[in-house]
Amino acid sequence: MNPVPVLDRIAASHARRAPSLAGGAAWARRRGEALGRLVARGLPDRRDENWKYLDHARVGEYAFEAEPGVRTDRAALSGRLLDVRGAHRVVLVDGRYDAHLSSAGASGGLEVEDLAKLIEVDPQGAISLLRTPGEQADDRYALLADAFAEGGVLIRVAAGSILAAPVYLVHVATAGAPAVHHSRVVVDIGPGARVTLLEHFTALGGAAVLGNLAAELALGERAEVSHMRLHQHGPAAAQVETWVVRAAARSRYEHHLLALGGRLLRSNLDLLLEGAHAACRLDGLFLADGDRQVDLLTQVKHQGLATETVQEYRGIATARGRGAFNGRISVEPSARGSNASQTSRNLLLSPLAEINARPQLEIHVDDVQCRHGATIGTLDDDHLFYLRSRGLDEAAARALLTFAFCRDVIGRVPLGPVRDAAEVLVAGALPDRDLIRGTD
Amino acid sequence: MSDDGRPILDVRDLRVRAGERLILDGLSLAVRAGEVHAIMGPNGSGKSTLTGVLAGRPGYEVVSGSASYLGRDLLAMAPELRAREGLFLAFQYPVEIPGVNNVYLLKAALNAQRKHRGLPELDAFEFLNLVRAKLASMRMDESLLNRGVNEGFSGGEKKRNEILQMSLLEPTLALLDETDSGLDIDALKVVADGVNAMRGPGRAIVLVTHYQRLLDHVVPDQVHVLAGGRIVRSGGRELALELERRGYDWLKPGTAAA
Repeated sequence: MNPVPVLDRIAASHARRAPSLAGGAAWARRRGEALGRLVARGLPDRRDENWKYLDHARVGEYAFEAEPGVRTDRAALSGRLLDVRGAHRVVLVDGRYDAHLSSAGASGGLEVEDLAKLIEVDPQGAISLLRTPGEQADDRYALLADAFAEGGVLIRVAAGSILAAPVYLVHVATAGAPAVHHSRVVVDIGPGARVTLLEHFTALGGAAVLGNLAAELALGERAEVSHMRLHQHGPAAAQVETWVVRAAARSRYEHHLLALGGRLLRSNLDLLLEGAHAACRLDGLFLADGDRQVDLLTQVKHQGLATETVQEYRGIATARGRGAFNGRISVEPSARGSNASQTSRNLLLSPLAEINARPQLEIHVDDVQCRHGATIGTLDDDHLFYLRSRGLDEAAARALLTFAFCRDVIGRVPLGPVRDAAEVLVAGALPDRDLIRGTD
Repeated sequence: MSDDGRPILDVRDLRVRAGERLILDGLSLAVRAGEVHAIMGPNGSGKSTLTGVLAGRPGYEVVSGSASYLGRDLLAMAPELRAREGLFLAFQYPVEIPGVNNVYLLKAALNAQRKHRGLPELDAFEFLNLVRAKLASMRMDESLLNRGVNEGFSGGEKKRNEILQMSLLEPTLALLDETDSGLDIDALKVVADGVNAMRGPGRAIVLVTHYQRLLDHVVPDQVHVLAGGRIVRSGGRELALELERRGYDWLKPGTAAA
């Protein structure tokens, strides 16, 4: 354990690195201000309501120093990638856009831009495209990312474009030495556009990297986005992320979070349903296995008239895993006629595992339909015996029932290779997997 | 097989406790290849405990006695091993398991058994053909294959599904726990036909039932009356008819046999 307080290490690292970063005076000022605000407020800790289940000491074990990554080539990466046919691949290596490993360019309404390059050639332009993080506890890791802002990627889809193939955004951690990498992702989906976006977090070897991602996504009117997020980090890697999603009128946002890897994941999702009739479906699944910690915060704000949320999160904790789901849906006075439902179902598979689930609804207007609920349970002994009485061994029976628990959430994931990866991560290689979803 | 005359199932003086209560109190029963035995008894006599203990349901404590299956110590085997070795329990209350579809369970069960016996696993085509034939014989709709195990099934569909599994797994010893309860007459006939189709020289079947009406359709070789945790009387089919007429009271322990 590093005895120097995290904030002091951050400030020292900043003093060393900031002078060499690109972007001229404008970016030096922006980074300096972000650091100043962060130092004044401190990182969130257990006293912050939405952060009380996070193991802050574990976050502090990472070096908060940007170590150089390991050179990555196609061969090293290819074994980690999912086989997504025709995908527009965008690869971030230790937070930085890698043009060589990426295959997506400007085509059919899709535009991909290296943020590092933009900061260098058009510092003001880059600033105008990025959200400025706030000082509230939930935004402070985004503030940290801003203080070290260096690279990332901008993805734009033009109005009316319907992308036939998914955009496959790969976050790969490579650094051999313990390190913290910050990155920014900005996704802008024009009005009426339709996009499938797959984010995939993976790590090479035993990379002991904490990735800190600050990201934002804007949906134009009537845009439709299906956003899959597969966390498949190695056992030493950790991730903290802050997503802010804004949905304009009649847009539809689908989110499939699959938190199935890494040593620690803290994920914030802020979703603003700004326009009338904007709708979202939020699916989530976490597996806190080994000594993994998963801490999920989702905050949905209904602001537009007749907006809709359907949220279904499932969590599994086994061995010494720890999971937390903290979900708040607020319906503001401007959001008459809105619907919201939120469920959190959790499976606790070991006496040393821990799950905390806190669904919350805040309704500030009449004429809405909202419901929520949370459960924490175990596998049913009668189900186990029934399967064993048919010849399945106990381990297979447990894996099958665990799979069954999250089958609905996995089943709604729109890409087959992602479903397959999730199935194997949750249930292992079940026998006769070909039939697990039936005969069709 | 037991062509040496050794019983497929040989239960001797079995005493079983569930919690504080002694449920089986010195039960003995031998079932040979080719035979169908019916075990009848009033509610609470220990019928379901007997099938549960034989299939390996957790929660029972065997106090004394033994149960052997093809000459092996049945009670020492894990439930899945009993199944792979050819024991099948048709549940009185088959559980609903949403998220595990029927066809998956059927194939996993069949292949677990085949693997255990050193047989090659069936490919998808062979397997589906086999299952479709069995479904047709049970007059079950093919759409049931892709539903969760027993999920939303009626009582009759659940029982048929048990018999479907049995006919697919072709057990050496089949234990049917009140499979007839809750069935209308048509479903009872389908289930009875399924059981009759399983009768054969290498197989033993134990029907546990409260009423004798199933025995109109599946004629047993022997009928046993279970009361107070042990077999108090055994006989031929006529014993079932007598029970139908006279009820169980005259056989309760402490009552002088008529």
